[in-house]
Amino acid sequence: MSSAVIQRVVLWGLAVALFAYLFVDATMTRQRLGDPAVATGYWLFGLIILLVSYNVRKRLAMIPLIRSAYWLRLHVAGGVLAVAVFWLHTGTIWPNGLYEQVFAILFYLLSLSGLAGYAMQRVFPQALTESGVEVIYERIPAHVADLRARAEAIVLECTGETGSDTLAKHYTNTMSWFFDRPRFFWAHVAFSRRGGSWLRTQREAISRYLDDRERSFFEKFEDLAQLKNRVDMHYAFQSLMKRWLLVHVPLAVAVLALSVWHLLVVNIYAL
Amino acid sequence: MSDEDVTDLLTRPVIGDMDGERFPSQAPLEGILKNDCRIMRYGAGDIIVREGDYGNSAFLLLEGEVRVTLQDHLPREMLGRASAKHRNIFQTIAQVWTNSRVPEKRDTRRYRGGDIRVDSGGAARVFLQDVPAVLDEYRTAKLLPGQLFGELAALGRVPRTATVFAESEAVLLEIRWQGLRDIRKHDDNFRRTIDANYRENALKVHLSKTPPFSGLDEAALEKVADATLFETFGTFDWNVSYKKLRSAGQAGVANEPAIARQGEYADGLLLIRAGFARVSIKFGNGERTIRYLGAGDQFGLDELYASWREGGDLELRSTLTALGYVDLLRVPASAFEAHVFPNIDPPTNTIDSLVARPVAENALLEWAVEERFINGTKAMLIDLERCVRCDDCVRACAATHGGNPRFVRHGPTYDKWMVANACMHCADPVCMIGCPTGAIHRSEAGGTVVINDDTCIGCATCANSCPYNNIRMVNIRDLAGQAVVDPATQRPIMKATKCDLCASNPGGPACVRACPHDALQRVAFQLDADEDGPGPSAGAV
Repeated sequence: MSSAVIQRVVLWGLAVALFAYLFVDATMTRQRLGDPAVATGYWLFGLIILLVSYNVRKRLAMIPLIRSAYWLRLHVAGGVLAVAVFWLHTGTIWPNGLYEQVFAILFYLLSLSGLAGYAMQRVFPQALTESGVEVIYERIPAHVADLRARAEAIVLECTGETGSDTLAKHYTNTMSWFFDRPRFFWAHVAFSRRGGSWLRTQREAISRYLDDRERSFFEKFEDLAQLKNRVDMHYAFQSLMKRWLLVHVPLAVAVLALSVWHLLVVNIYAL
Repeated sequence: MSDEDVTDLLTRPVIGDMDGERFPSQAPLEGILKNDCRIMRYGAGDIIVREGDYGNSAFLLLEGEVRVTLQDHLPREMLGRASAKHRNIFQTIAQVWTNSRVPEKRDTRRYRGGDIRVDSGGAARVFLQDVPAVLDEYRTAKLLPGQLFGELAALGRVPRTATVFAESEAVLLEIRWQGLRDIRKHDDNFRRTIDANYRENALKVHLSKTPPFSGLDEAALEKVADATLFETFGTFDWNVSYKKLRSAGQAGVANEPAIARQGEYADGLLLIRAGFARVSIKFGNGERTIRYLGAGDQFGLDELYASWREGGDLELRSTLTALGYVDLLRVPASAFEAHVFPNIDPPTNTIDSLVARPVAENALLEWAVEERFINGTKAMLIDLERCVRCDDCVRACAATHGGNPRFVRHGPTYDKWMVANACMHCADPVCMIGCPTGAIHRSEAGGTVVINDDTCIGCATCANSCPYNNIRMVNIRDLAGQAVVDPATQRPIMKATKCDLCASNPGGPACVRACPHDALQRVAFQLDADEDGPGPSAGAV
């Protein structure tokens, strides 16, 4: 068993054990006519601090804190535990009161964005690797521009060599849209093959009007279009893998801020 | 070198003693002196060769006095190398607020003075400030005119074992390894001298530590050593030809110097002393790589043993070609039969099992050999099926190195593996050859290849030599964030930068620590031909 698997087993075991303890403790407190929300609230606040601190650790990469991979495992197990403790703390899935409901919405959105991000990170890398292309996200615009320039050069060469403007018209009317910028964003995200299907349709539409000489140029053009389609997939997947944090992190900050306010209010007025 | 210099050299000892008639017309002695040698003048205290450096030339002392350090090692600072400055935990934490938004800031006061001086030809050298003090404090020996030094390191591609410095004004003939090789080839005296030096200093020790010779008694070892031949294949600056062949798509067995060919008679055991070699067999219309050999490995033992046991001459079953530069020892079959085979167990036959493997299982090995990644001892290997392209590794590297990352998260890929453009801390570090100040060197601890920023003069020799493009030249800035320029030319001052495995920070490479998905490892690219299935054997840092 690898060390990563052992760590996961230990962390999830601890999470389950901690929840079991909190559940039993809350039940017993209730039986003593006490308020279990105080203890579970502090535990939940502690968990939120722990989860937020992962982002701080990422920013302190120069300090030899525990490896980020360990933190992520802790973050995932801690995040799921936090949802369970949240329900234990509120005693319901949907609390009463506007403030609590805003808090709950943000907390759920935070949890869902975390789950979505985790799922993407599990699924997308393999699909990207299988595409057979590897491109740095920031270089994708330059890569697309390069592909566009090469495609246009082929079209111009075809026109010059064959004296026919069929391919040139096809490019101007249809394919320039495709080469202009990354396309089929959501189709790629949904693992749909719409991009490839669209290219196939265009190929079938134009190829009947090409002679053998034009077709040899068109084959090279088509290779570039297929490559562009795979670069588009990289753009879609890498965009989401980078941008989901722009949702997750602000939500985390908002939840932390509301937690602090909630803690202050409860300590001042309710205890 | 001018014709007058050549004429003058031919009247001096050693060179004058050579018989020019023995040199072929296409490589005359005068031509070698003119093209592969140069006369170097050193001032008192100038360091000529540094212990630990890799060099591709030997030196013949013509005039003056030079000293070689004996068992004492001169301090690394004295040789122009910084001792690794380790930040303590407080200094490490302080980087959070001391890191500048402007990358590559340097305290340029560090560069003033120092131990570098520039000679009349514009070449920069590190020199010893106080030669009498060095002579008092450290044990040295005087070398006299006519003495040759540095030839073993140059021919064997191994680090220099001692530091040599000029005690007074000295004139030396620097002989490039090509010249050294040609002179050795055509001048018997010269060859005997070099070979005797090697036999005397290193060969017996080397053999005694190498199976199957390790069990031999002193007398047998002596006889084997006497019979051993020294050979070199490929070019010392293989990185240049490799880069050209690679860009032309012509890298492969066909363009590698053949050491032994499949089907030829096995006339001796080949022991690799330095460099790498490819073992391949004919397969279809090409050559299939079945393994590669590095320093300490051997070739031809199976066939030699079978010939001895069964009688007759057995053909080699595989081809050996040089991957770049290979320095090897050839132990003739006769010496083996007389002294070694009677005393050893039958060798295990490895070729059959290697050949029996499906071609697909060889693909990773073929790729690693083709790309020369076998040279890497700490290559940055990324598992692309785990990597989420978040660039946390890049940011961590930048945060640890003053705002600029020391690698690019991009590079050749095979299957799900990517070898990123990060220094691999090569076993055969061609980047270290030719550094005029010895700024790029191996650290004492762990052998990491590091650059001393204080003595780097920004000549880019290392960056141009690196076959993997893993060294970057950067413009530096002063503490005020202004670009530092050469006052004379107004050109920006450049420094070479590369991955140093975060030598100054506690906790090892920040890139490995920062990867949230365990996708990044630093590995020794040792693809064990016997291991099952593809996948680098990862000696993770």
